[in-house]
Amino acid sequence: MPNKWVLNWQPNAGTTVNSQILNEVSQCVEGMNGVKEGRWKAALTFYKPMLREQALAAEFPRDFMGISLPEQPSKYYFVIRGQKIVLEAEQTIQTIMEKLQSYKTRVTLNFEGSQYRLGDFQLRVGKVVPLHSESLRGIVMEMEYLPISSLDKSRQMMEEFFDVCQEALSKRHLPGHFMHIEPNFAEYGLFDNYTSQHTAIQYATIMAQLIATAHAVQPVRN
Amino acid sequence: MQQASATGGPTPAAAKSVQSPPDSGESVEAPPKQVALAMDRLSQAGRVIADIRLGADRLLEALFVASRQPQQSPKPLQSILKEEASMRNCLQELRTIGRQLEDSGVLNESLRSRSNSWGLHMPLVCPDGAVVAYAWKRQLAGQAGASAVDRTRLALKAFTDQKRRFFPHLDDGAGGESVSKRHSGFQVSTDSHEEELNDDRTLSDILLNLEKEVKNVKVFTYERLDWLKRASSLPSSSNECIVESSKEHNFRSSNNLRQGTKRVITADKVAVIELLFPSVFRAVVSLHPAGSIDPDAVAFFSPDEGGSHVHARGFSVYHVYRHITEHAGLALQYFLGRRTETSLHSLLHWICSYQNLFSKVCRLLSMDTQAALLLPPVQRPYRNFTGSKPSSTQQSISFKDQSVDENQAYHVDCFPEET
Repeated sequence: MPNKWVLNWQPNAGTTVNSQILNEVSQCVEGMNGVKEGRWKAALTFYKPMLREQALAAEFPRDFMGISLPEQPSKYYFVIRGQKIVLEAEQTIQTIMEKLQSYKTRVTLNFEGSQYRLGDFQLRVGKVVPLHSESLRGIVMEMEYLPISSLDKSRQMMEEFFDVCQEALSKRHLPGHFMHIEPNFAEYGLFDNYTSQHTAIQYATIMAQLIATAHAVQPVRN
Repeated sequence: MQQASATGGPTPAAAKSVQSPPDSGESVEAPPKQVALAMDRLSQAGRVIADIRLGADRLLEALFVASRQPQQSPKPLQSILKEEASMRNCLQELRTIGRQLEDSGVLNESLRSRSNSWGLHMPLVCPDGAVVAYAWKRQLAGQAGASAVDRTRLALKAFTDQKRRFFPHLDDGAGGESVSKRHSGFQVSTDSHEEELNDDRTLSDILLNLEKEVKNVKVFTYERLDWLKRASSLPSSSNECIVESSKEHNFRSSNNLRQGTKRVITADKVAVIELLFPSVFRAVVSLHPAGSIDPDAVAFFSPDEGGSHVHARGFSVYHVYRHITEHAGLALQYFLGRRTETSLHSLLHWICSYQNLFSKVCRLLSMDTQAALLLPPVQRPYRNFTGSKPSSTQQSISFKDQSVDENQAYHVDCFPEET
């Protein structure tokens, strides 16, 4: 699978995300000769354990997430960030979870937007909205270099492309910027060859940032 | 409709008309007569085309004369006018013939798109030259094919006879260009290039040397058909299932075992060389004829790319490798033109210089202004490329510690040696 960076929009201190920023980013990508290819959608769910005594909840990991990705429609990914666990499962696991009722959905976030092709690069720009809500909670961008799938070999290319994107975006004087944090994939037991599990971990990692951003604006409704 | 059955194609659309025999009342002439008419018209067309060519020549001549002697006599002008009139007539005639051929079904859409014309339905013209009208006369094609085989056999016999007569010293019984022949020193054979200067320049030697000198490269050799099979079985980049990559890994390791024995046994059948730099690129070099050290095509692909387009004359789906392939074509021609004996050696080493494709900086990522694409430096200079071995006496710089100049990398726009 080609190497992919998932970038989170970090608004400047005191500002918030809004759809205007999203539009500007999309226009910027199109200005870089990006060819719009279609729409994409991913979803991330926070789970909470269903316990008879809620007091015990502290013993269970709070950052247990389930992620569905558009490039793997038949799979579902679980990440427990605290313990550096990532798991790829079949989609049907969600049915099993519902039947078991051991973990319930705390909150689900949808990532959706448009996909662009710039030569050998593929960009996805998307908004982050909670399920059943229209309020924009964040903006993410996926950056993919299609020809090669080695993390190591493509790193420089990705960095340079990121710089090019930053340069293009900075001309628009937006109140914020995209951030890239590379999780330590080795801790999760993953290797140099990029896979969807890497993507799942990246989404899990930026959740912390997203939550912090949302906190700055308004308390996260639980 | 008559024209469908005249083409003889059992395509679904024309199936109905093909099944019905032509003498079901609709035909104007009997099929053989149609064929004769079609052949007639085709040869007419050939003649008209020849006339047009002559007319064009005459026009050019008249123009040339007129330019040499301006304002002299009106003769050139008259001849130009005359030629123009006759050309118009010829073109009109050609148009008429074309229309007649279209109406009789000899020229139709499926023949125009040549990629499909010999594929799904029966060819109108057999390799032998015989024309077959429709599917249920298929045995004619079979007969034509059989006669083609006979004729080829006769031609081959005639050729070997002549070869025996005029080149008796080549007649060792082995008709092919085996590796040992190269050392005999005869300059007459059509494709072998002398190896007297470098005695170790057999294909195996070149490849072994390459593997020794360049680390990280994996070299495989194939017969031509085997490569096509392998290319089709490579996982294509759109398939992202993790299971696939482990399957690919297994295939590779078993392939390695296979390749080890293959290279030793059929050195004179090797037609395709694969150079793989894992995670960077895969280069496919084609040799012609098989077993020789003469490259005739080269192409670059993503290491994760698979499919039947992955061969020495194919193009990658990714822009970066497409650009490199184009540049490599130029480099190949340069190496062949400069010194054919070492062209393969030079080419392979030059290909290996791309192993730092994604790390060597020109400024790594730059907008290719022509194509409006962001690419790494895809061009590497080949003009002064020597690819010398450490033991070579020509160069004081060994391949390993190459100077900065030797191994520059450039973007398309930055390339200094643009022709």
